[in-house]
Amino acid sequence: MCDLMPPSSTLPGLADTGIDTFLVRLQRETSGPTWLGLVLGAILYAVTPVATVGWPIPSFWLPASARALHAERAMSTRFYLLRQSLFLLKMYACMCWGQDTRVRQLLNVAPYPEDPGSFRQGVEQ
Amino acid sequence: MRHQPFVADGPEVVLEADYVVVGTGAGGASAAVTLARGGARVLLVEAGPWRDPDDYAHSTYGTLRDMMDDWGATIAVGDALWPVVQARLVGGTTVINSAICVRTPGDVFAEWQRDHGVGPELADRMWRYQDQIETELCVEETAPPSLGRSNELALAGDRAGAFGGHVINRYAKGCLGSGQCLQGCRSLRKQSMNLNYIPEVVEKGGTVLSCAPAEKLLFEGRRAVGVTGHFVHPQSRKRGASFRARGRRGVILAASAVHTPLVLLRSGIRGPAVGAGFRSHPGTGVFGVYDEPVDMNRGVTQGWASTKYRSTPGFKMETLAIPMEMAISRLAGGGATLMERIAEFRHLAMWVHALRARSVGRVSRGLGGRPFIRYGLDARDMAAFRQGMYHVAQVHVAAGAKAVLPGVHGLPYKLLPDQIGLIADGPEDPRCYVAILSHLFGGATMGADPRRAVCDTRGRVYGHERLYVADASMFPDNIGVNPQHSIMSLAMCVAEDALGES
Ligand SMILES: Cc1cc2nc3c(=O)[nH]c(=O)nc-3n(C[C@H](O)[C@H](O)[C@H](O)COP(=O)(O)OP(=O)(O)OC[C@H]3O[C@@H](n4cnc5c(N)ncnc54)[C@H](O)[C@@H]3O)c2cc1C
Ligand code: SF4
Repeated sequence: MCDLMPPSSTLPGLADTGIDTFLVRLQRETSGPTWLGLVLGAILYAVTPVATVGWPIPSFWLPASARALHAERAMSTRFYLLRQSLFLLKMYACMCWGQDTRVRQLLNVAPYPEDPGSFRQGVEQ
Repeated sequence: MRHQPFVADGPEVVLEADYVVVGTGAGGASAAVTLARGGARVLLVEAGPWRDPDDYAHSTYGTLRDMMDDWGATIAVGDALWPVVQARLVGGTTVINSAICVRTPGDVFAEWQRDHGVGPELADRMWRYQDQIETELCVEETAPPSLGRSNELALAGDRAGAFGGHVINRYAKGCLGSGQCLQGCRSLRKQSMNLNYIPEVVEKGGTVLSCAPAEKLLFEGRRAVGVTGHFVHPQSRKRGASFRARGRRGVILAASAVHTPLVLLRSGIRGPAVGAGFRSHPGTGVFGVYDEPVDMNRGVTQGWASTKYRSTPGFKMETLAIPMEMAISRLAGGGATLMERIAEFRHLAMWVHALRARSVGRVSRGLGGRPFIRYGLDARDMAAFRQGMYHVAQVHVAAGAKAVLPGVHGLPYKLLPDQIGLIADGPEDPRCYVAILSHLFGGATMGADPRRAVCDTRGRVYGHERLYVADASMFPDNIGVNPQHSIMSLAMCVAEDALGES
């Protein structure tokens, strides 16, 4: 997932924005189909370098330059189901990255306070 | 009792009122308030929790978790897979929508009369209710200081290119332009149903049963007398105690175009029309790239619209500022290229079109009882879809955009102003487009012919007594404008007629 959003000269990468904690929380909180879709997307991303850059190894073993090329090409693959699976992965990567306070400051959007997650619980007579 | 939330275990919770209304969104809340004003006791049964504005999420993650139906993971399956977006909490989708208020166009009634046997009096009745709603929910144009740069640019482009647009009328009093409509308005400006009609129902002696998805209808003979189900905890999604909600005078289904047909199907009401006639306004965004920063999330979420092309080719254009993290996921590519593109975010404005699609789909029960929606666009709709995107690009160019980002697989990432014609001639394959469905219709359509419709034109379900439909699922056609006003006023007509029957 971090390959999709590496650090740039002006912006932090996904790895700098708490993706591990985000994923643990997501697995705990999200619905089965969403989590399954993400796992499937991650697996497909890992096993497709052979189709995108011609290396028959998983994406995490690729050298840096091939990894970058794979990130770019995989996202624009002509295979629709693969593209959709990777889009889901990217959407959640962007969700984690985009809620980071430093990122929001850099892009001039208001910071997010903690989501309260609360709701009316008591019986009201 | 005013509110009964989640119950983990113990004996079945049994409540009774004059009417049970299933769903508390645009249709359910409007039907319920009409019944309550007519002197009836109402029991609102809602699948989601009751969240007050202080409970609303801030982030997209929190919004998906706390407010959306199934984490926004419902998909319409056709040639392409397009998400179907709706909310699941007290107030329904009105809590997370942009509060755009558009009166039902006259041609809609002419079509309904011609094709579905709807009586000519419905137009006047719905428009009268629309007058009333506009006053009650403080409908007004967003004031200039709250518009923000993206909406100002669209207005400028509109003036330059004569696209027939305008500042949008919204159910929002004194909008502050915080751009948070899609996460729920924490500053109480947007008039979602949980702030007005639902509290009024409760004040008039009604009860809200929250975290309570209705599973099945209860019948005595042919007469509907209530619904049953189990509470579901909004965080753990664990099943709780069972409940039984009884309506002495009737049951009104308003669980949305996706869920109303499912309640009918689960209850054994299975005619060929149940779930059929599903329609929508599929839409997608086109970004404009501007020299100056736009900061599209500053200013009202949706402030400009044009209905100039509603009849032909059949689409509406609007500004739409989705949260930054969602907007950047729409930028093509991955890795360093994506980061370069994201760096341009402050200079982007996203505007959308919503297609008055003619294509028809079906809602049925899928795996694990989840909705399965079969829906895709035919070639004619796809041609209009491309036209819609092309026109949005034209507004950007007229507003001074130095480039547009069509977001279409198979087209270049960035098009210069003299290249936007490529969008109109773009790929015909729906799989090349990332669209969403947010205006949904049908599934329990009204009509004079019981072979083609689920309910009559007063919302009464054929073959049953005291069972009504009062939400977007009644709509037998696509209306081509934002539907909340039409849904609310139609639901009020259904409720008024139901009161008159008993
Ligand atoms: C992002 C977005 C923006 C939009 N913006 C606008 C806009 O600006 N203007 C406009 O006119 N329209 C807008 N719409 C569309 C509009 O909000 C909907 O068309 C409208 O709310 C639909 O009304 P409804 O009553 O049919 O369903 P909903 O408002 O969705 O209400 C259905 C309710 O039923 C509940 N429910 C579902 N299943 C069950 C069950 N089994 N038991 C009990 N309860 C159940 C749901 O939790 C929900 O509360 C927007 C939609 C979206 C998604
Ligand atoms: S733009 Fe902000 S203040 Fe205005 S209605 Fe939406 S959320 Fe409320």
